[in-house]
Amino acid sequence: MTRERALILVALVAILGATGWSARPHDATAAERVDRITSELRCVTCQGLSVKDSPAASARQMQGLVVQRVAEGRTDDEIRDEFRASYGDWVLLSPPASSWTGLIWLVPIVALAAGLVVAVGRMRPGAPSVAPPSAGELAVLRERVAREEALDLPQADGAE
Amino acid sequence: MPRWLRYTIVVGIAALVIVLMLSFRRDPHDIRTGTVNKPAAAFTADKLDSTGTLSLKDYAGKVVVLNFFASWCPPCKEENPALVRVWERYRTSDVVFIGIVYGDSTEKARAYVSTNGVTWPTVQDEDGRIAFAYGVFGPPETYFIAPDGIIAGRHIGPIDEATLVTAIDGLRPKATR
Repeated sequence: MTRERALILVALVAILGATGWSARPHDATAAERVDRITSELRCVTCQGLSVKDSPAASARQMQGLVVQRVAEGRTDDEIRDEFRASYGDWVLLSPPASSWTGLIWLVPIVALAAGLVVAVGRMRPGAPSVAPPSAGELAVLRERVAREEALDLPQADGAE
Repeated sequence: MPRWLRYTIVVGIAALVIVLMLSFRRDPHDIRTGTVNKPAAAFTADKLDSTGTLSLKDYAGKVVVLNFFASWCPPCKEENPALVRVWERYRTSDVVFIGIVYGDSTEKARAYVSTNGVTWPTVQDEDGRIAFAYGVFGPPETYFIAPDGIIAGRHIGPIDEATLVTAIDGLRPKATR
């Protein structure tokens, strides 16, 4: 192993180690929990943004409520459920994969599977639609091909 | 295309059309999600006129019309004459109006109340907690609370006199005082 390769290996090990260390399971801090919950909640006045990303006053108030609930010791699910009780699953940017909202996740998968079935069906060579020719028919065909080839030969030579 | 897939696609499109037809028939002002048909969230808040606090529980047994409004909200001004007329009609009965200031300063809300003839009790929702508890998207929104404390209806956007009267009269026979 050359020195360069050894250095690359050491660098890779260092990068993987650092990545693994930073991604290790650990207890989330209150700020991390607030960030996580507010990034999952929909801003009720702007609708396309999360509470975390929205500058709207109502989003700041929702964030304030999340901060208070975290400080009170509520779990993430309890906080999410409080908003769901008022606004329904709509308030979650990613609707839960249960009950009717599960269709939102299921329909694209079913559509993709159906598309694959159609595509595979089209690509598969089709079954022969006519019966194979009989020995007599084959003899006639061969004779016809030989005759047409004999007629074509002088023209082909001339074209060359 | 296989026959079963053709049938599936036809059934899927038919189901989609039926769902859309049913959805378009619904009144967009009457979104029955979240808090409707559930107990109204209890709250105690400072009155806008600084005369103390107001608690929803003080109005148990009455029909309560909860109106979220703001001075910066043009549709709130648009619906206000209807609210004033209906309030004058029911104010001596078992019907209570409560105005809740949404996302507005106390000074501006006070000015709005005095210039627009709002004489029913109004409270300030400083941190938006009342609005969140009711599932408010933005003003104006009106909630109808039955005498048993259940949210019987909700109207999103400016409300008119007929809608107010119909909703109130539908709840009044249940009133106990």
